[in-house]
Amino acid sequence: MTPRLQSMRDSVRSKEHARFRQEKPPAVVEDFDAAGLSWMQRNARLTRRMCEAENVVIQPEERIVFTRTVPSVPLVYDGEEWAACFDGGKAHELGPISNICADWGYVLSQGLNGRKRAAETARAQAADDPAAVEFLDSAMEAIDAVLALAERYATEARRLGHDDVADVLERVPAEPPSGFREALQALRFLHASVWMSGHYHVGLGRFDQYMIPYLHADLASGKLTVDDAEELLAEFFISLNKDSDLYPGVQQGDNGQSLMLGGVTREGQDAVNELTWMVLRAAAKVNMIDPKINLRVTSETDLELLELAAQLTKRGLGFPQYSNDDVVIPGLLQHGYALEDARDYTVAACWEYIIPGKGMDIVNIGAVSFPAAVSEAILGGLAAGSGFQGILERTRENITSQAANAVNHCRNIILPPAPYYSALMTECLEGGVDLSAGLVYNNYGIHGACSANAADALAAVKQFVFDEERVEASELVNALITNYEGREDLRLLLQKDGPKVGNNDEQADAMLTELFAALADACETFEDNGRGGIVRPGTGSAMYYVWLARGHEDMREPVVGATADGRRQGEFFSSSLAPSPGTRSRGPLSILQTYSKLDYQRICNGGPITLELSDAVFRDEEAIHKVAMLVRAFAQLGCQQLQLNTLSVETLHDAKQHPENHQNLIVRVWGWSGYFCELGPEYQDHVIARHMHTF
Amino acid sequence: MRSYGMESGVVFDIKEFAVHDGPGIRTTVFLKGCPLRCTWCHNPEGISPLPEPMRTATGERTVGETFTAEELADRLNSQADILRANEGGVTFSGGEPLMQAAFVSAVIDRLTDVHVLLDTSGHASERDFRAVVSKVDLVHFDLKLMDAGQHQRFTGQPNDLVLTNLSVLETLGIPYVVRVPLVPGVTDTIENMCAIAERLDGSPGLIRVELLPYNRAAGGKYEASQRPFEPGFDERIAVRRDTRPFDALGVPVRVAS
Repeated sequence: MTPRLQSMRDSVRSKEHARFRQEKPPAVVEDFDAAGLSWMQRNARLTRRMCEAENVVIQPEERIVFTRTVPSVPLVYDGEEWAACFDGGKAHELGPISNICADWGYVLSQGLNGRKRAAETARAQAADDPAAVEFLDSAMEAIDAVLALAERYATEARRLGHDDVADVLERVPAEPPSGFREALQALRFLHASVWMSGHYHVGLGRFDQYMIPYLHADLASGKLTVDDAEELLAEFFISLNKDSDLYPGVQQGDNGQSLMLGGVTREGQDAVNELTWMVLRAAAKVNMIDPKINLRVTSETDLELLELAAQLTKRGLGFPQYSNDDVVIPGLLQHGYALEDARDYTVAACWEYIIPGKGMDIVNIGAVSFPAAVSEAILGGLAAGSGFQGILERTRENITSQAANAVNHCRNIILPPAPYYSALMTECLEGGVDLSAGLVYNNYGIHGACSANAADALAAVKQFVFDEERVEASELVNALITNYEGREDLRLLLQKDGPKVGNNDEQADAMLTELFAALADACETFEDNGRGGIVRPGTGSAMYYVWLARGHEDMREPVVGATADGRRQGEFFSSSLAPSPGTRSRGPLSILQTYSKLDYQRICNGGPITLELSDAVFRDEEAIHKVAMLVRAFAQLGCQQLQLNTLSVETLHDAKQHPENHQNLIVRVWGWSGYFCELGPEYQDHVIARHMHTF
Repeated sequence: MRSYGMESGVVFDIKEFAVHDGPGIRTTVFLKGCPLRCTWCHNPEGISPLPEPMRTATGERTVGETFTAEELADRLNSQADILRANEGGVTFSGGEPLMQAAFVSAVIDRLTDVHVLLDTSGHASERDFRAVVSKVDLVHFDLKLMDAGQHQRFTGQPNDLVLTNLSVLETLGIPYVVRVPLVPGVTDTIENMCAIAERLDGSPGLIRVELLPYNRAAGGKYEASQRPFEPGFDERIAVRRDTRPFDALGVPVRVAS
C-alpha cells in the first residue's frame, strides 16, 4: 500500500475520525408529530434529517469522501407509539429492513436523478392512488436529501480547493458515473445513506459485476492505470471500515458489509473479470474486516484465482467465503427462483443467498435447535422405553414443531416503510410500491443449528444403547440429567468412541442427513410464509452455538443441558457445518465428504462448512496452491459453502491476555470477521476452542 | 515381494491434507516404528513399533492403531478420487515405513490408481527397499550425515544401509528428492553439506535436494509421550541455511520454509 493509504488505514483503525462525531442524533419525533407525518413520511424525513445533520468532513488526503458524524439513528416515533406500529404483528429484530441487497448496478447506471425521474413518471401514472403517491413523494424526498448532502460536500470540497473531489461530487451520485472513481464515490454515498436511514446489515452485492463497466471505461481511455484503480479501490474499502462501531449487530464486526465476486452472469457466461482479481488483491493489502469477501466458484474455477483468494485466507482474514454455483443455482431454481435471478445470487449479511434488488427475503427468522430436538427425544424416548426408531420419530416431531413455531411466530412480521432503500431496488419506484410490501422473492430462511452435536448424540445412542447394548437406557438418562456427575467414564466413552460427524462415518452422517431431511420436510409444508413466500432451510448456526448452550432472551427453545455425544452442560455447540467441538476428525477431506452428503437442493438457505487450518500449513511454499485445490475439492464434491480460517492458537491466547498487542488481530466469528479484541469473552473463547483443533 | 491380504500394520496417524509431504493434496500414513534414534526426532511417538499411551492437551489417548492392509487401503481409496483430481496422492511416512515393508507393500497393491510417495530414512534392508520403492511414484530419501561416526552418534545407527540404498535408488529409475534435516552444529556443518553435495553431484533421477531447517518445537511432543528430550546439541543456535555447496556443483537445491 502507498504511504497515503497506510496512514488512512491506521487513522481509521485508531478511530481518529471519531473526533468529528456529534454527541447525539437529531431529535425528530416532535417535529414529525407536529407535521402529522405518516410512518412512510417519517422514514423519508428521517433520511432527510440525518443527511441534514451531517457535518461535512473532507480530510486532505482523501480522494473518496464521506465521514459519518451523526452517531446513531433515532426512532421515528416515541417508545410507546413505536411499539404500537407493530400492533397486530411483530417487528423483525430491531424493526427496520435489514439483511438484503440493493440493485447497486441499476442505481449507479441511472444516478439518483434517474431514480427520481422514475419516481416522477410512476407518480404521474398513479396520481389517483394515494398510497403510491405518498410512497413516491417520500422516496423523492429521501433521494433529494442524499443529493443535497452530496452537494454540500461538493461545495465544501471546492471551497477547500479539493477540485478533483468537487468535480466528482458535482456529478455523482446525481448522474451515472463516467468512470471508476466516480462510481466508488457514488457507492460510498448511496451505501452509507442506507445505514443512515436506520437499515442495517447493508450488503454490497456483486461488486465486480456492477463496477466493471466503470473500470473498463477508465482503463480503455487511459484515464487510470491498473495501479491507480487499485489504489482507489483500496481507499474505498478503508472508507467502509470507518463506521463499524456505529452499526448495530450481535457483536462488533457483525455488520453484513459483504460483497460477492465471480460466478456467472445472468446469461450464464463466466463472470470473473479484471475487477474480481483486483478486489482480492486490494482486500489483501487493506487487511481490515470490511468488506467481507465472498467468492462464487465451481469445480472448474481457475486455480490461479483460487490461489489469489487463498492469499487472503493466509492473512487470517477469515474470508473469502466460497459458494459453489454448481449447487447453489440449482438449489435456488428448486425453490422457485427464475434462472436468470438464480444466476445473479449474492449473500445477505453472512451466508444466506439473496437476489440483489429483487429479494425481500427474511433469510434468518430463527433457528431450529437441533440439540433441543434431539435432547428431548433421547430423554423422553429412553424414559418411555421406545426403541431407536421411536427416538428418531420423536426428533422429527420436535423439529417439525420447532419449525412451525418459528414460522408461525413470524407470520405477521410488520416491516416499516423504507422509501429510500426502495429507490435502490429494481422495481419499487416503477411499480409505486414500497419495499416493505415485498419484492419478487419474499421467502423466509430458517437454520438447523448445531447439527453436529445433535447428530453425534443420536449416533451415540444408537450405537451404545441399542446396537451394542453397552449402556443402559436409565444409566444414560441419569448421566444426562446429572451432567455426567460421577460418570466421567461414560462421558468419555460417548465423546471418544462414538461415531462423529466429520469423519465420513456412515452412522454419524446418516443422523446428520436425517436431521436436515426432517427440517426440509418441515419447511416444505409451508406453502405460504404469510408474505407470499416459502421457507428455505439452511445450515448456519450464527450465534446459536452460544445461545443454545448458554441461553439468550431471543431464544424460544430451552437451554440444552448435557448431551449424549459426551458434551457437558454449558459447553458450546458446533458452528454451522463443523464437527462437534473437541472431537477428533480425520481431517479436511473427511469433513468435506461428510457434508457432501447433504441434499443441498432442498437445504439452500446457506451456512458454511467451517474449517480451521493450522497456520503451519501456510509455511509451505506450495501451500497457496494446495489450499486452492482444497477449495476446488470442496466444489468437486458438491458441497455448498465453505469458510476457511487460519490462526495460531498461541496468538489467540496471547491476544486474550494482552489485547493491547493485538488490536488488529482479525478473526472469523460466524458469517463475518471482526477484531478479536472487540468481541465479547464468550465469542473469544469459542474462536479459541475452534482453533484448538486445526488441520 | 508377495503381499498377502492379511498383512497388518501399526499406524500412528493418518493425516489428510498433509501439505508438507509431497505434491498436491495428499494423505500421509505415518507408520509406527523406527530403527533410528535421531536425537532431534520430531515424531517420538513413531519410534516404538507398538501402540502406546500419549498425553495431550485434550487428555490421554492411545497412539498406534492396527490396520489390515485391506482396511487401510479401503480408507485411502475412499478419497482416491479427490487426491487424483488434485495433483496429489498418498504418502507413506513414519517412523520408518520400511520397518513394515510387507504391510506397506500390501497396502500399495490395493490402492486404486493413486500417486504414491515413500518418505524413508533409507535405513532398511536392500531387499525391502527395492521391493517397496519399485511400487511407488516418488521417493523422499533422508540423508542426514555422511560421516559414519557422526551418523552413529546422532541416529544410533551407522549409515552404511542408507548409502547402499541411495545407490540402489539411483539405479531404479524412480524419481526422488533427497531431504536433509538442518540440525544446528550437527548436520548443517560445511563439511557435511559439502560431502552430501559431492555425493549427489550427477546422481541420476535426483529431482532436487531439500534442506529442512530444524524446528525448535520438536521438544513438546517428548513430554506428551513421556520421553526425555536430550538432543545433544544446542537448540538455540541458528541453523545455517547455506546452499552454496550444492549451487557450486549445480545440484538443484531449495530450503524448505
